[in-house]
Amino acid sequence: MSEATAYRRQSRWRHFVIQSAPLLLAETILALTLVAWLIFYYRQLDSLPTSFDWLTVLNTSMPLVFAAIGQSVVVLTRGLDLSIGGMISISVSLAATHMGASAGDMVLWTVLILLAGAAGGLLNGLLVAYARLQPILVTLATLSIYQGIAIKILPQPGGQIPEAYTNILTNPDEPTALVFIALVLGLWFVFRRVPFGVAIYALGNDEEAARANGIRVRRTKVAAYVVSGVFAAAAGLFLGATTTAGDATGGDVFVLTSIAAVVLGGVSFFGGRGSAVGSICGAFALTLVVNVLFFAHIDPLYQSFYQGLFLITAVVLGTLVGRLARGRT
Amino acid sequence: MSAEAPVAEARGSAVAAWFTADRRRVVYAFAAAVLVFVVGGILKPGFASRHSIEAILVIASFVGFVAAGQTFVVLIGGIDLSVPWVLNGAAILLVTSSLGRDGRALSAVALTLGLGLTVGLVNGLGAAYLAVPAVVMTLGMNGVMEGLTLGLSKGLTCGACASYAPPAVRSAVRSDVLGVPADLFLWLGIVVLVSFVLSWTTFGRRVYATGNNARAAFLAGIDVRIVTVVLYMLSGLFAALAGIVLVGYSGQAALGMGDPYLFQSITAVVIGGVWILGGRGHYLGVVAGSITLIALISVLQAENMPEYGRNIVYGVTILVILLLYGRGRQDH
Repeated sequence: MSEATAYRRQSRWRHFVIQSAPLLLAETILALTLVAWLIFYYRQLDSLPTSFDWLTVLNTSMPLVFAAIGQSVVVLTRGLDLSIGGMISISVSLAATHMGASAGDMVLWTVLILLAGAAGGLLNGLLVAYARLQPILVTLATLSIYQGIAIKILPQPGGQIPEAYTNILTNPDEPTALVFIALVLGLWFVFRRVPFGVAIYALGNDEEAARANGIRVRRTKVAAYVVSGVFAAAAGLFLGATTTAGDATGGDVFVLTSIAAVVLGGVSFFGGRGSAVGSICGAFALTLVVNVLFFAHIDPLYQSFYQGLFLITAVVLGTLVGRLARGRT
Repeated sequence: MSAEAPVAEARGSAVAAWFTADRRRVVYAFAAAVLVFVVGGILKPGFASRHSIEAILVIASFVGFVAAGQTFVVLIGGIDLSVPWVLNGAAILLVTSSLGRDGRALSAVALTLGLGLTVGLVNGLGAAYLAVPAVVMTLGMNGVMEGLTLGLSKGLTCGACASYAPPAVRSAVRSDVLGVPADLFLWLGIVVLVSFVLSWTTFGRRVYATGNNARAAFLAGIDVRIVTVVLYMLSGLFAALAGIVLVGYSGQAALGMGDPYLFQSITAVVIGGVWILGGRGHYLGVVAGSITLIALISVLQAENMPEYGRNIVYGVTILVILLLYGRGRQDH
């Protein structure tokens, strides 16, 4: 082996490590929380989690998984979508008030709700890309508007999600949710390889360079917010399916948790770096932390304390690991 | 005659030079506040009465205190999401440490402000030295403060939690001074102080320099990291101050009392013409922004608009204001 190939091989390996360090870190964080969960569960009940426990974790994670994927796509463009919370509320409210138990009705309203999500995202995208407003401010304003619309649709918590719908999305007996995770992972695999995905990463890294290379920056940005809206709407459907009823304020928590999941997933706030796979790990890790705290007999009142600490620690570790990896090259 | 024309012209250009885009935004923000009061007065006779204006100004002052801190961090392109639970934790710490006694009021206020400074210090150290994005750092600290507040006060069921704010604190907020609530004088003092610090001190210059271009500021010899830490400490301090004032106003602490102040403080900062990416804006505009915001909410409430309508109008108003003057630079 010549020196040159050795060098090339080595530098390629280094490149790989640096590129995927955030993802590896997200997976490590998820693995660690999983281990912590298993340990505390075992100490508590003298057995390992049953398939029912696994299913509960899976199903309760689903809304955050979808919200986090949408948020990731926007964060990759150097944006931020706070309106995800309002969009989820609209989605839940619509589903709880309108969806009937017939198959046709379920399909129709799923499509309509996803379209509503696309419309909400389109408004965000147009305001960000064409009116040149700051994402955080636009989505702060539309968050308020979407929350208002959700309350108009469903003034009091209630309504109903058909049981059949719950059984399809988040079946309490079978891991149907895994199908959707697989679907999303497949979509992500495609996304990374089509021009749209390339454009998102390119403009997140350097908007001017992306424009100079012929990427339609504004259109791509609009599309990113549309994707985020659709995924938020899907998150709302999963939220409705797990809770089987609607609450027009149900989406509020996702404003901040979706950001937390994305951060844990190693998606850079400076755009262009990260993966939805990481965000999915982040979403599961955040859900698992709640379970860990429960089985560790932590007073539930302290729950946000540990979650906050977990978030900061994970990000600080991520930064340090990133620095070390870069320092080695 | 001929000698006067150039003088007038020079005076005109001096006015034009003074009337920079940033200052124009302050004027717009005040114009918006006046407009809301005029519209409110037309829709609801008595809305623009002295009593009603006073009440609105007092409520706006709470937003104004929080927004003062938010202004500081936004001026360097940061943001403080830890405001809600710093405020709430401060309010609860004040009543539990003072137990409603005047003798303990001073030390309780000092302790509470110290809490705000400490949280700000942690936020600042994380943002400046560990390079944690401000959104993440302050979001995490908000959770930390929420958990600590809820846990230590046992969900506000602890024995001392039902205490009232000391009478001294309450009268410092509520008593009449020259026919005006004392709280408004406190706000006036803060306005003068913050404006002075930002516009006439070297520290203020450092803040704007850092906000405009942190790298250039660093090369010019400014310790950007220390400026950042100090600003987050100020933000924590003002959130804690708002907690004290709020608990002095309402008498007792409550859970969730800080929640509205996150988005309201950011909105006030934006209406006030502070550029969200940092480097430009004045606290005076933010004052007008706080008044506009609270006056608008009051008009909508006076008109008995349902909650959903208020949310929508609130969001649309922010968008309209942003479209008027919050736009980024033209790109191709």
